[in-house]
Amino acid sequence: MGQVARALIWHEFRERLRDRWVLVIGALFALLASGVSLYGRSADASAGLVGPSLVTLISLFVPLVALVLGHDAIVGERERNTLGLLLSLPIRRAEVVVAKFFGRAGAMIVATSTGLLAAILLAAPPHRPVLANLIGPTLLLGGAFLSVGLMLSTAVVRQVTAASLVVAIWFLFVFFYDLGLLGLMVITDGGVSEGLITSLVVFNPAGLFRLEMLARFAGPNALQEMGMATPLPPLGLRAPVWAVWVTAPVALSALLLARGEAVR
Amino acid sequence: MRQLRIEQLSVRFGKLRALTDVSLGIAAGEVVMLAGPNGSGKSTLLRVLLGLVRQDHGRLVVDGREQSVNNDFKARLGYLPEAVAFSENLSGHQVVTFFASARGLRSSRVDEVLERVGLTHAAKRPVRGYSRGMRQRLGLAVSISSVPELLILDEPTGGLDQEGIGVLWSLLREWREAGRMVLVATHDLGLMEHRVDRMCLLQAGTLRADDTPARLRDTARLPARLTITLRAGHDRIQLLIDELARAGTIGQIALSDDALSLDVQPDRLLGVLSACRDAGEVVRHLRVVEPGLERVYEHMLTMDS
Repeated sequence: MGQVARALIWHEFRERLRDRWVLVIGALFALLASGVSLYGRSADASAGLVGPSLVTLISLFVPLVALVLGHDAIVGERERNTLGLLLSLPIRRAEVVVAKFFGRAGAMIVATSTGLLAAILLAAPPHRPVLANLIGPTLLLGGAFLSVGLMLSTAVVRQVTAASLVVAIWFLFVFFYDLGLLGLMVITDGGVSEGLITSLVVFNPAGLFRLEMLARFAGPNALQEMGMATPLPPLGLRAPVWAVWVTAPVALSALLLARGEAVR
Repeated sequence: MRQLRIEQLSVRFGKLRALTDVSLGIAAGEVVMLAGPNGSGKSTLLRVLLGLVRQDHGRLVVDGREQSVNNDFKARLGYLPEAVAFSENLSGHQVVTFFASARGLRSSRVDEVLERVGLTHAAKRPVRGYSRGMRQRLGLAVSISSVPELLILDEPTGGLDQEGIGVLWSLLREWREAGRMVLVATHDLGLMEHRVDRMCLLQAGTLRADDTPARLRDTARLPARLTITLRAGHDRIQLLIDELARAGTIGQIALSDDALSLDVQPDRLLGVLSACRDAGEVVRHLRVVEPGLERVYEHMLTMDS
Protein backbone atom coordinates (compact mmCIF):
# COMPACT_ATOMS: atom_id res chain seq x y z
CA MET A 1 0.00 0.00 0.00
CA GLY A 2 1.46 3.33 -1.08
CA GLN A 3 2.04 6.59 0.72
CA VAL A 4 -1.23 8.16 -0.42
CA ALA A 5 -3.22 5.16 0.80
CA ARG A 6 -1.51 5.19 4.18
CA ALA A 7 -2.20 8.92 4.55
CA LEU A 8 -5.82 8.32 3.51
CA ILE A 9 -6.30 5.57 6.13
CA TRP A 10 -5.13 7.88 8.91
CA HIS A 11 -7.14 10.80 7.52
CA GLU A 12 -10.34 8.73 7.35
CA PHE A 13 -9.80 7.37 10.85
CA ARG A 14 -9.40 10.83 12.36
CA GLU A 15 -12.20 12.39 10.38
CA ARG A 16 -14.74 9.66 11.18
CA LEU A 17 -14.02 9.86 14.88
CA ARG A 18 -15.26 13.44 14.68
CA ASP A 19 -18.53 12.49 12.99
CA ARG A 20 -21.33 13.40 15.35
CA TRP A 21 -23.56 10.49 14.35
CA VAL A 22 -20.80 7.98 15.00
CA LEU A 23 -20.11 9.63 18.34
CA VAL A 24 -23.80 9.68 19.34
CA ILE A 25 -24.51 6.07 18.37
CA GLY A 26 -21.19 4.89 19.85
CA ALA A 27 -21.86 6.73 23.12
CA LEU A 28 -25.42 5.39 23.31
CA PHE A 29 -24.12 1.88 22.71
CA ALA A 30 -21.49 2.30 25.45
CA LEU A 31 -24.14 3.61 27.84
CA LEU A 32 -26.56 0.74 27.21
CA ALA A 33 -23.82 -1.93 27.24
CA SER A 34 -22.56 -0.58 30.56
CA GLY A 35 -26.12 -0.56 31.85
CA VAL A 36 -26.58 -4.21 30.91
CA SER A 37 -23.33 -5.12 32.67
CA LEU A 38 -24.27 -3.18 35.80
CA TYR A 39 -27.73 -4.72 35.79
CA GLY A 40 -26.24 -8.19 35.53
CA ARG A 41 -23.91 -7.39 38.37
CA SER A 42 -26.47 -5.94 40.74
CA ALA A 43 -28.95 -8.75 40.19
CA ASP A 44 -26.12 -11.23 40.67
CA ALA A 45 -27.16 -12.73 37.38
CA SER A 46 -25.08 -15.24 35.48
CA ALA A 47 -23.18 -14.58 32.28
CA GLY A 48 -26.03 -16.46 30.68
CA LEU A 49 -28.16 -13.36 31.17
CA VAL A 50 -25.66 -10.60 30.51
CA GLY A 51 -24.11 -12.25 27.43
CA PRO A 52 -27.30 -12.70 25.38
CA SER A 53 -28.49 -9.22 26.35
CA LEU A 54 -25.26 -7.75 25.03
CA VAL A 55 -25.56 -9.90 21.91
CA THR A 56 -28.98 -8.40 21.23
CA LEU A 57 -27.67 -4.91 21.88
CA ILE A 58 -24.67 -5.45 19.63
CA SER A 59 -26.74 -6.88 16.80
CA LEU A 60 -28.88 -3.72 16.90
CA PHE A 61 -26.22 -1.03 17.32
CA VAL A 62 -23.06 -2.27 15.61
CA PRO A 63 -24.65 -2.68 12.14
CA LEU A 64 -26.04 0.84 12.46
CA VAL A 65 -22.68 2.35 13.49
CA ALA A 66 -20.94 0.49 10.67
CA LEU A 67 -23.48 1.43 8.00
CA VAL A 68 -23.40 5.08 9.09
CA LEU A 69 -19.60 5.00 8.94
CA GLY A 70 -19.55 3.56 5.45
CA HIS A 71 -22.47 5.22 3.70
CA ASP A 72 -20.81 8.52 2.77
CA ALA A 73 -17.30 7.26 2.06
CA ILE A 74 -17.41 7.83 -1.69
CA VAL A 75 -20.69 9.66 -2.31
CA GLY A 76 -19.75 12.22 0.34
CA GLU A 77 -16.52 13.01 -1.53
CA ARG A 78 -18.49 13.19 -4.76
CA GLU A 79 -20.98 15.68 -3.30
CA ARG A 80 -18.24 17.83 -1.78
CA ASN A 81 -16.43 17.86 -5.13
CA THR A 82 -13.37 16.33 -3.49
CA LEU A 83 -13.56 12.90 -5.16
CA GLY A 84 -11.79 14.25 -8.23
CA LEU A 85 -9.20 15.88 -6.02
CA LEU A 86 -8.64 12.62 -4.17
CA LEU A 87 -8.39 10.59 -7.37
CA SER A 88 -6.02 13.13 -8.86
CA LEU A 89 -3.49 12.06 -6.24
CA PRO A 90 -1.07 9.32 -7.28
CA ILE A 91 -3.30 6.49 -6.07
CA ARG A 92 -5.30 3.74 -7.78
CA ARG A 93 -9.05 3.82 -7.36
CA ALA A 94 -9.15 0.39 -5.73
CA GLU A 95 -6.64 1.64 -3.17
CA VAL A 96 -8.92 4.57 -2.36
CA VAL A 97 -11.74 2.17 -1.51
CA VAL A 98 -9.55 -0.16 0.53
CA ALA A 99 -7.91 2.73 2.39
CA LYS A 100 -11.30 4.21 3.19
CA PHE A 101 -12.44 0.81 4.47
CA PHE A 102 -9.42 0.41 6.75
CA GLY A 103 -9.57 3.98 8.04
CA ARG A 104 -13.27 3.73 8.82
CA ALA A 105 -12.85 0.23 10.24
CA GLY A 106 -10.39 1.76 12.71
CA ALA A 107 -12.99 4.33 13.71
CA MET A 108 -15.61 1.58 14.03
CA ILE A 109 -13.30 -0.47 16.25
CA VAL A 110 -12.82 2.52 18.53
CA ALA A 111 -16.54 3.36 18.56
CA THR A 112 -17.69 -0.18 19.38
CA SER A 113 -14.78 -1.42 21.46
CA THR A 114 -15.14 1.48 23.86
CA GLY A 115 -18.65 0.36 24.72
CA LEU A 116 -17.72 -3.29 24.85
CA LEU A 117 -14.68 -2.71 27.03
CA ALA A 118 -16.75 -0.56 29.36
CA ALA A 119 -19.32 -3.37 29.59
CA ILE A 120 -16.63 -5.98 30.25
CA LEU A 121 -14.91 -3.87 32.90
CA LEU A 122 -18.20 -3.14 34.66
CA ALA A 123 -19.28 -6.80 34.60
CA ALA A 124 -18.72 -9.08 37.59
CA PRO A 125 -15.16 -10.45 37.41
CA PRO A 126 -16.22 -14.06 36.74
CA HIS A 127 -18.28 -12.94 33.74
CA ARG A 128 -15.51 -10.95 32.09
CA PRO A 129 -13.76 -13.79 30.19
CA VAL A 130 -17.12 -14.92 28.78
CA LEU A 131 -18.00 -11.41 27.66
CA ALA A 132 -14.55 -10.96 26.11
CA ASN A 133 -15.71 -13.58 23.59
CA LEU A 134 -17.96 -10.91 22.13
CA ILE A 135 -15.15 -8.73 20.81
CA GLY A 136 -14.02 -10.76 17.77
CA PRO A 137 -17.48 -11.51 16.31
CA THR A 138 -18.59 -7.94 17.04
CA LEU A 139 -15.76 -6.57 14.95
CA LEU A 140 -16.59 -9.06 12.17
CA LEU A 141 -20.22 -7.95 12.29
CA GLY A 142 -19.14 -4.31 12.08
CA GLY A 143 -16.70 -5.11 9.27
CA ALA A 144 -19.44 -6.79 7.23
CA PHE A 145 -21.86 -3.88 7.56
CA LEU A 146 -19.13 -1.30 7.01
CA SER A 147 -18.30 -3.09 3.79
CA VAL A 148 -21.95 -3.00 2.72
CA GLY A 149 -22.14 0.71 3.59
CA LEU A 150 -19.07 1.40 1.49
CA MET A 151 -20.58 -0.42 -1.46
CA LEU A 152 -23.78 1.64 -1.13
CA SER A 153 -21.68 4.75 -1.05
CA THR A 154 -20.04 3.90 -4.35
CA ALA A 155 -23.21 2.78 -6.08
CA VAL A 156 -25.35 5.87 -5.46
CA VAL A 157 -24.89 9.45 -6.64
CA ARG A 158 -26.49 11.31 -3.76
CA GLN A 159 -25.67 11.08 -0.08
CA VAL A 160 -29.31 11.35 0.93
CA THR A 161 -30.02 8.21 -1.13
CA ALA A 162 -27.22 6.40 0.67
CA ALA A 163 -28.60 7.53 4.04
CA SER A 164 -32.08 6.27 3.14
CA LEU A 165 -30.66 2.95 2.03
CA VAL A 166 -28.74 2.65 5.30
CA VAL A 167 -32.02 2.75 7.21
CA ALA A 168 -33.65 0.29 4.81
CA ILE A 169 -30.74 -2.18 4.97
CA TRP A 170 -30.52 -1.94 8.72
CA PHE A 171 -34.20 -2.74 9.09
CA LEU A 172 -33.93 -5.53 6.51
CA PHE A 173 -31.00 -7.35 8.09
CA VAL A 174 -31.67 -6.64 11.75
CA PHE A 175 -35.45 -7.06 11.88
CA PHE A 176 -37.19 -8.18 8.71
CA TYR A 177 -34.81 -10.92 7.66
CA ASP A 178 -35.55 -13.07 10.73
CA LEU A 179 -39.23 -12.16 10.58
CA GLY A 180 -39.22 -13.26 6.95
CA LEU A 181 -37.70 -16.59 7.86
CA LEU A 182 -40.25 -17.01 10.63
CA GLY A 183 -43.01 -16.17 8.19
CA LEU A 184 -41.61 -18.69 5.73
CA MET A 185 -41.73 -21.40 8.38
CA VAL A 186 -45.29 -20.50 9.34
CA ILE A 187 -46.54 -20.27 5.76
CA THR A 188 -44.99 -23.58 4.78
CA ASP A 189 -46.12 -25.11 8.05
CA GLY A 190 -42.66 -26.49 8.68
CA GLY A 191 -42.26 -27.59 5.09
CA VAL A 192 -38.90 -25.86 4.87
CA SER A 193 -36.13 -27.93 6.38
CA GLU A 194 -34.26 -26.76 9.46
CA GLY A 195 -31.04 -27.09 7.48
CA LEU A 196 -32.23 -24.59 4.88
CA ILE A 197 -33.44 -22.18 7.55
CA THR A 198 -30.06 -22.39 9.33
CA SER A 199 -28.28 -21.80 6.02
CA LEU A 200 -30.44 -18.78 5.32
CA VAL A 201 -29.68 -17.41 8.79
CA VAL A 202 -25.96 -17.72 8.01
CA PHE A 203 -26.39 -15.51 4.92
CA ASN A 204 -27.42 -12.59 7.09
CA PRO A 205 -24.39 -11.19 8.96
CA ALA A 206 -26.60 -10.27 11.92
CA GLY A 207 -27.93 -13.86 12.00
CA LEU A 208 -24.46 -15.25 11.56
CA PHE A 209 -23.31 -13.13 14.51
CA ARG A 210 -26.07 -14.54 16.70
CA LEU A 211 -25.16 -18.09 15.68
CA GLU A 212 -21.51 -17.29 16.33
CA MET A 213 -22.30 -16.12 19.83
CA LEU A 214 -24.57 -19.11 20.41
CA ALA A 215 -21.64 -21.35 19.55
CA ARG A 216 -19.37 -19.46 21.93
CA PHE A 217 -21.79 -19.19 24.86
CA ALA A 218 -23.57 -22.53 24.58
CA GLY A 219 -21.16 -24.71 22.61
CA PRO A 220 -21.37 -26.29 19.14
CA ASN A 221 -24.39 -28.44 20.08
CA ALA A 222 -26.47 -25.45 21.11
CA LEU A 223 -29.08 -25.88 18.42
CA GLN A 224 -29.63 -29.57 19.22
CA GLU A 225 -29.99 -28.68 22.89
CA MET A 226 -32.72 -26.26 21.81
CA GLY A 227 -34.54 -29.16 20.17
CA MET A 228 -33.43 -28.68 16.59
CA ALA A 229 -32.06 -31.51 14.53
CA THR A 230 -29.59 -29.40 12.55
CA PRO A 231 -26.20 -28.78 14.13
CA LEU A 232 -24.69 -25.32 14.30
CA PRO A 233 -22.78 -24.60 11.08
CA PRO A 234 -19.13 -25.42 11.75
CA LEU A 235 -16.43 -22.77 11.91
CA GLY A 236 -15.17 -24.04 8.55
CA LEU A 237 -18.44 -22.81 7.00
CA ARG A 238 -18.93 -19.72 9.13
CA ALA A 239 -15.43 -18.32 8.54
CA PRO A 240 -15.70 -18.17 4.72
CA VAL A 241 -19.14 -16.57 4.99
CA TRP A 242 -17.68 -13.88 7.28
CA ALA A 243 -14.81 -13.43 4.83
CA VAL A 244 -17.23 -12.97 1.93
CA TRP A 245 -19.37 -10.49 3.86
CA VAL A 246 -16.38 -8.40 4.83
CA THR A 247 -14.50 -8.45 1.54
CA ALA A 248 -16.99 -8.91 -1.31
CA PRO A 249 -18.81 -5.55 -0.97
CA VAL A 250 -15.46 -3.75 -0.69
CA ALA A 251 -14.25 -5.53 -3.83
CA LEU A 252 -17.47 -4.66 -5.64
CA SER A 253 -17.13 -1.07 -4.51
CA ALA A 254 -13.57 -0.94 -5.87
CA LEU A 255 -14.80 -2.38 -9.14
CA LEU A 256 -17.62 0.16 -9.40
CA LEU A 257 -15.28 3.06 -8.77
CA ALA A 258 -12.63 1.74 -11.15
CA ARG A 259 -15.06 1.18 -14.01
CA GLY A 260 -17.19 4.29 -13.67
CA GLU A 261 -16.36 7.83 -14.66
CA ALA A 262 -15.67 9.09 -11.18
CA VAL A 263 -16.70 12.69 -11.61
CA ARG A 264 -18.51 13.81 -14.68
CA MET B 1 7.82 19.41 -18.00
CA ARG B 2 8.57 21.91 -20.78
CA GLN B 3 5.66 21.26 -23.11
CA LEU B 4 2.32 19.50 -22.78
CA ARG B 5 0.26 18.81 -25.86
CA ILE B 6 -3.25 17.42 -26.04
CA GLU B 7 -3.73 15.89 -29.48
CA GLN B 8 -7.07 15.15 -31.12
CA LEU B 9 -8.81 14.38 -27.87
CA SER B 10 -12.31 12.95 -28.12
CA VAL B 11 -14.55 11.90 -25.25
CA ARG B 12 -18.07 10.51 -25.42
CA PHE B 13 -20.50 9.89 -22.59
CA GLY B 14 -22.92 7.48 -24.21
CA LYS B 15 -24.43 9.40 -27.12
CA LEU B 16 -23.12 12.76 -25.89
CA ARG B 17 -19.93 13.96 -27.55
CA ALA B 18 -18.24 15.87 -24.75
CA LEU B 19 -15.04 16.59 -26.70
CA THR B 20 -14.33 16.19 -30.40
CA ASP B 21 -10.79 16.23 -31.79
CA VAL B 22 -9.53 18.89 -29.42
CA SER B 23 -5.84 19.75 -29.76
CA LEU B 24 -4.01 22.35 -27.74
CA GLY B 25 -0.72 22.82 -25.98
CA ILE B 26 0.80 24.51 -22.96
CA ALA B 27 4.41 25.52 -22.70
CA ALA B 28 6.45 26.08 -19.57
CA GLY B 29 5.74 29.50 -18.09
CA GLU B 30 2.32 29.80 -19.74
CA VAL B 31 -1.04 30.46 -18.17
CA VAL B 32 -3.74 29.14 -20.48
CA MET B 33 -7.42 29.84 -19.99
CA LEU B 34 -10.14 27.47 -21.09
CA ALA B 35 -13.35 29.33 -21.79
CA GLY B 36 -16.70 28.28 -23.14
CA PRO B 37 -20.36 28.02 -22.20
CA ASN B 38 -21.66 25.44 -19.75
CA GLY B 39 -21.33 21.96 -21.22
CA SER B 40 -18.70 23.04 -23.73
CA GLY B 41 -16.22 20.44 -22.47
CA LYS B 42 -13.88 22.55 -20.29
CA SER B 43 -14.17 20.41 -17.18
CA THR B 44 -14.10 17.19 -19.21
CA LEU B 45 -10.80 18.25 -20.72
CA LEU B 46 -9.37 18.95 -17.26
CA ARG B 47 -10.65 15.61 -16.02
CA VAL B 48 -8.96 13.76 -18.83
CA LEU B 49 -5.68 15.36 -17.75
CA LEU B 50 -6.35 14.31 -14.17
CA GLY B 51 -7.19 10.74 -15.12
CA LEU B 52 -10.79 11.07 -13.92
CA VAL B 53 -12.27 10.54 -17.37
CA ARG B 54 -10.83 8.31 -20.07
CA GLN B 55 -10.61 9.60 -23.61
CA ASP B 56 -12.05 7.58 -26.47
CA HIS B 57 -9.46 8.93 -28.84
CA GLY B 58 -6.41 11.17 -28.75
CA ARG B 59 -3.31 11.37 -26.64
CA LEU B 60 -1.25 13.46 -24.30
CA VAL B 61 2.30 14.31 -25.30
CA VAL B 62 4.77 15.59 -22.72
CA ASP B 63 8.07 16.97 -24.00
CA GLY B 64 7.60 15.13 -27.27
CA ARG B 65 6.76 11.75 -25.78
CA GLU B 66 3.33 10.16 -25.44
CA GLN B 67 2.21 10.23 -21.81
CA SER B 68 -0.41 8.17 -20.04
CA VAL B 69 -2.11 9.59 -16.96
CA ASN B 70 -0.34 7.32 -14.52
CA ASN B 71 0.72 7.97 -10.92
CA ASP B 72 4.02 9.51 -12.02
CA PHE B 73 2.20 12.02 -14.18
CA LYS B 74 -0.41 12.73 -11.49
CA ALA B 75 2.39 13.43 -9.00
CA ARG B 76 3.32 16.43 -11.18
CA LEU B 77 -0.18 17.95 -11.10
CA GLY B 78 -2.02 20.19 -8.68
CA TYR B 79 -5.79 20.54 -8.91
CA LEU B 80 -8.41 22.92 -7.60
CA PRO B 81 -11.91 21.52 -8.31
CA GLU B 82 -14.84 23.84 -8.89
CA ALA B 83 -16.73 24.81 -5.70
CA VAL B 84 -14.71 22.47 -3.54
CA ALA B 85 -16.07 21.78 -0.03
CA PHE B 86 -13.80 19.86 2.28
CA SER B 87 -14.88 17.75 5.23
CA GLU B 88 -16.51 20.01 7.78
CA ASN B 89 -15.25 17.94 10.71
CA LEU B 90 -11.61 18.88 10.09
CA SER B 91 -9.68 22.11 10.45
CA GLY B 92 -8.06 23.79 7.48
CA HIS B 93 -4.68 22.71 8.80
CA GLN B 94 -5.79 19.07 8.99
CA VAL B 95 -7.15 19.18 5.45
CA VAL B 96 -3.89 20.48 4.01
CA THR B 97 -1.91 18.12 6.24
CA PHE B 98 -3.67 15.14 4.67
CA PHE B 99 -2.90 16.20 1.11
CA ALA B 100 0.65 17.17 2.04
CA SER B 101 1.33 13.86 3.77
CA ALA B 102 -0.26 11.97 0.87
CA ARG B 103 2.31 13.60 -1.39
CA GLY B 104 5.15 13.00 1.06
CA LEU B 105 5.71 16.66 1.86
CA ARG B 106 7.31 17.91 5.05
CA SER B 107 4.89 19.14 7.71
CA SER B 108 6.29 22.70 7.65
CA ARG B 109 4.99 22.99 4.07
CA VAL B 110 1.44 22.99 5.47
CA ASP B 111 2.05 26.21 7.38
CA GLU B 112 3.82 27.72 4.39
CA VAL B 113 0.93 27.20 1.97
CA LEU B 114 -1.69 28.27 4.49
CA GLU B 115 0.26 31.48 4.98
CA ARG B 116 0.64 31.84 1.21
CA VAL B 117 -3.15 31.89 0.75
CA GLY B 118 -3.77 34.01 3.85
CA LEU B 119 -5.41 31.38 6.01
CA THR B 120 -2.94 31.18 8.89
CA HIS B 121 -5.36 32.92 11.24
CA ALA B 122 -8.10 30.35 10.55
CA ALA B 123 -5.91 27.26 10.17
CA LYS B 124 -7.02 25.60 13.40
CA ARG B 125 -10.70 26.36 12.95
CA PRO B 126 -13.08 23.68 11.60
CA VAL B 127 -13.88 24.05 7.91
CA ARG B 128 -17.59 24.25 8.77
CA GLY B 129 -16.97 27.81 9.95
CA TYR B 130 -15.25 28.87 6.72
CA SER B 131 -16.85 31.22 4.22
CA ARG B 132 -17.01 30.21 0.55
CA GLY B 133 -13.98 32.34 -0.22
CA MET B 134 -11.99 30.76 2.63
CA ARG B 135 -12.85 27.30 1.33
CA GLN B 136 -11.65 28.36 -2.09
CA ARG B 137 -8.39 29.60 -0.58
CA LEU B 138 -8.06 26.29 1.25
CA GLY B 139 -8.51 24.52 -2.10
CA LEU B 140 -5.79 26.75 -3.55
CA ALA B 141 -3.50 25.84 -0.64
CA VAL B 142 -4.08 22.13 -1.33
CA SER B 143 -3.51 22.55 -5.06
CA ILE B 144 -0.15 24.32 -4.68
CA SER B 145 1.17 22.34 -1.72
CA SER B 146 3.34 20.05 -3.86
CA VAL B 147 4.52 22.92 -6.10
CA PRO B 148 3.09 21.12 -9.15
CA GLU B 149 4.56 21.53 -12.60
CA LEU B 150 1.05 21.83 -14.01
CA LEU B 151 -1.54 23.62 -11.90
CA ILE B 152 -5.11 22.90 -12.99
CA LEU B 153 -7.71 25.35 -11.69
CA ASP B 154 -11.43 24.91 -12.28
CA GLU B 155 -13.28 28.21 -11.70
CA PRO B 156 -10.66 29.52 -9.26
CA THR B 157 -12.24 32.96 -8.74
CA GLY B 158 -15.52 31.61 -7.32
CA GLY B 159 -16.25 33.14 -3.93
CA LEU B 160 -12.92 34.93 -3.64
CA ASP B 161 -12.87 38.47 -2.25
CA GLN B 162 -10.45 41.15 -3.49
CA GLU B 163 -7.71 39.89 -1.21
CA GLY B 164 -8.29 36.33 -2.38
CA ILE B 165 -8.18 37.44 -6.01
CA GLY B 166 -4.88 39.12 -5.20
CA VAL B 167 -3.56 35.84 -3.81
CA LEU B 168 -4.66 34.07 -6.99
CA TRP B 169 -2.92 36.66 -9.20
CA SER B 170 0.29 36.34 -7.25
CA LEU B 171 0.15 32.54 -7.56
CA LEU B 172 -0.34 32.77 -11.33
CA ARG B 173 2.58 35.18 -11.55
CA GLU B 174 4.75 32.93 -9.42
CA TRP B 175 3.95 29.87 -11.53
CA ARG B 176 4.63 31.75 -14.75
CA GLU B 177 7.93 33.21 -13.52
CA ALA B 178 9.08 29.81 -12.26
CA GLY B 179 8.51 28.30 -15.71
CA ARG B 180 5.65 26.09 -14.57
CA MET B 181 2.28 25.74 -16.31
CA VAL B 182 -1.25 26.75 -15.36
CA LEU B 183 -4.46 25.66 -17.02
CA VAL B 184 -7.53 27.59 -15.85
CA ALA B 185 -11.13 26.81 -16.75
CA THR B 186 -13.30 29.83 -16.03
CA HIS B 187 -16.34 31.87 -16.94
CA ASP B 188 -14.75 34.94 -15.36
CA LEU B 189 -13.16 36.27 -18.53
CA GLY B 190 -13.21 39.89 -17.45
CA LEU B 191 -11.13 39.13 -14.38
CA MET B 192 -8.76 36.73 -16.08
CA GLU B 193 -8.07 38.42 -19.40
CA HIS B 194 -4.98 40.35 -18.29
CA ARG B 195 -3.59 37.39 -16.33
CA VAL B 196 -3.48 34.73 -19.02
CA ASP B 197 -1.19 34.22 -21.97
CA ARG B 198 -3.69 32.39 -24.14
CA MET B 199 -7.38 31.71 -24.29
CA CYS B 200 -8.78 28.47 -25.70
CA LEU B 201 -12.45 28.75 -26.53
CA LEU B 202 -14.46 25.54 -26.45
CA GLN B 203 -17.95 25.27 -27.84
CA ALA B 204 -20.02 22.09 -27.91
CA GLY B 205 -16.89 20.01 -27.33
CA THR B 206 -14.81 21.52 -30.14
CA LEU B 207 -12.00 24.03 -29.99
CA ARG B 208 -13.17 27.26 -31.66
CA ALA B 209 -10.18 29.48 -30.95
CA ASP B 210 -6.74 29.29 -29.38
CA ASP B 211 -4.72 32.50 -29.25
CA THR B 212 -3.52 35.37 -27.08
CA PRO B 213 -6.24 37.74 -25.82
CA ALA B 214 -4.75 40.58 -27.90
CA ARG B 215 -4.80 38.59 -31.15
CA LEU B 216 -8.30 37.27 -30.44
CA ARG B 217 -9.41 40.86 -29.96
CA ASP B 218 -7.74 41.89 -33.24
CA THR B 219 -9.30 38.98 -35.09
CA ALA B 220 -12.77 39.74 -33.77
CA ARG B 221 -12.48 43.40 -35.02
CA LEU B 222 -15.04 44.58 -32.53
CA PRO B 223 -15.67 48.32 -32.24
CA ALA B 224 -14.18 50.33 -29.41
CA ARG B 225 -16.53 52.52 -27.38
CA LEU B 226 -15.72 56.22 -27.24
CA THR B 227 -17.14 58.53 -24.63
CA ILE B 228 -16.53 62.21 -25.33
CA THR B 229 -17.27 64.75 -22.63
CA LEU B 230 -18.16 68.11 -24.18
CA ARG B 231 -18.22 71.73 -23.12
CA ALA B 232 -21.95 72.24 -22.65
CA GLY B 233 -23.62 74.71 -24.97
CA HIS B 234 -20.67 75.02 -27.30
CA ASP B 235 -21.72 76.03 -30.80
CA ARG B 236 -19.47 73.43 -32.53
CA ILE B 237 -21.06 70.34 -31.05
CA GLN B 238 -23.19 69.59 -34.10
CA LEU B 239 -20.16 70.13 -36.32
CA LEU B 240 -18.21 67.57 -34.28
CA ILE B 241 -21.06 65.05 -34.55
CA ASP B 242 -21.07 65.46 -38.33
CA GLU B 243 -17.28 65.02 -38.47
CA LEU B 244 -17.46 61.87 -36.34
CA ALA B 245 -20.15 60.40 -38.56
CA ARG B 246 -18.00 61.05 -41.61
CA ALA B 247 -14.91 59.55 -39.90
CA GLY B 248 -16.60 56.20 -39.57
CA THR B 249 -18.61 55.57 -36.44
CA ILE B 250 -20.90 52.58 -36.25
CA GLY B 251 -24.58 53.07 -35.59
CA GLN B 252 -26.04 56.00 -33.72
CA ILE B 253 -24.06 58.66 -31.93
CA ALA B 254 -25.79 59.10 -28.61
CA LEU B 255 -25.85 62.58 -27.14
CA SER B 256 -26.83 62.90 -23.52
CA ASP B 257 -26.34 66.03 -21.40
CA ASP B 258 -22.74 66.92 -22.08
CA ALA B 259 -21.43 63.60 -23.43
CA LEU B 260 -21.33 61.71 -26.70
CA SER B 261 -21.13 57.93 -26.91
CA LEU B 262 -20.24 56.11 -30.09
CA ASP B 263 -18.80 52.84 -31.36
CA VAL B 264 -15.80 52.91 -33.69
CA GLN B 265 -14.19 50.14 -35.72
CA PRO B 266 -10.51 49.63 -34.83
CA ASP B 267 -9.31 50.74 -38.28
CA ARG B 268 -11.34 53.99 -38.07
CA LEU B 269 -10.23 54.87 -34.58
CA LEU B 270 -7.36 57.13 -35.67
CA GLY B 271 -9.65 59.10 -37.96
CA VAL B 272 -12.18 59.59 -35.22
CA LEU B 273 -9.51 60.69 -32.76
CA SER B 274 -8.20 63.18 -35.35
CA ALA B 275 -11.70 64.58 -35.70
CA CYS B 276 -11.85 65.07 -31.95
CA ARG B 277 -8.47 66.77 -31.92
CA ASP B 278 -9.51 69.08 -34.76
CA ALA B 279 -12.69 69.97 -32.90
CA GLY B 280 -10.51 71.79 -30.40
CA GLU B 281 -11.94 73.16 -27.17
CA VAL B 282 -15.39 71.60 -27.61
CA VAL B 283 -13.93 68.30 -26.33
CA ARG B 284 -13.21 68.39 -22.63
CA HIS B 285 -12.37 64.73 -22.11
CA LEU B 286 -12.11 61.60 -24.22
CA ARG B 287 -12.27 57.99 -23.13
CA VAL B 288 -11.66 54.95 -25.34
CA VAL B 289 -12.72 51.54 -24.06
CA GLU B 290 -11.44 48.60 -26.07
CA PRO B 291 -13.73 45.59 -26.27
CA GLY B 292 -13.14 43.24 -23.33
CA LEU B 293 -12.46 39.57 -23.73
CA GLU B 294 -16.03 38.90 -22.61
CA ARG B 295 -17.35 40.77 -25.67
CA VAL B 296 -14.86 39.01 -27.91
CA TYR B 297 -16.00 35.69 -26.45
CA GLU B 298 -19.69 36.49 -26.97
CA HIS B 299 -18.97 37.65 -30.50
CA MET B 300 -17.09 34.46 -31.37
CA LEU B 301 -19.80 32.23 -29.95
CA THR B 302 -22.44 34.15 -31.90
CA MET B 303 -20.41 33.98 -35.10
CA ASP B 304 -19.87 30.26 -34.74
CA SER B 305 -23.46 29.52 -33.96
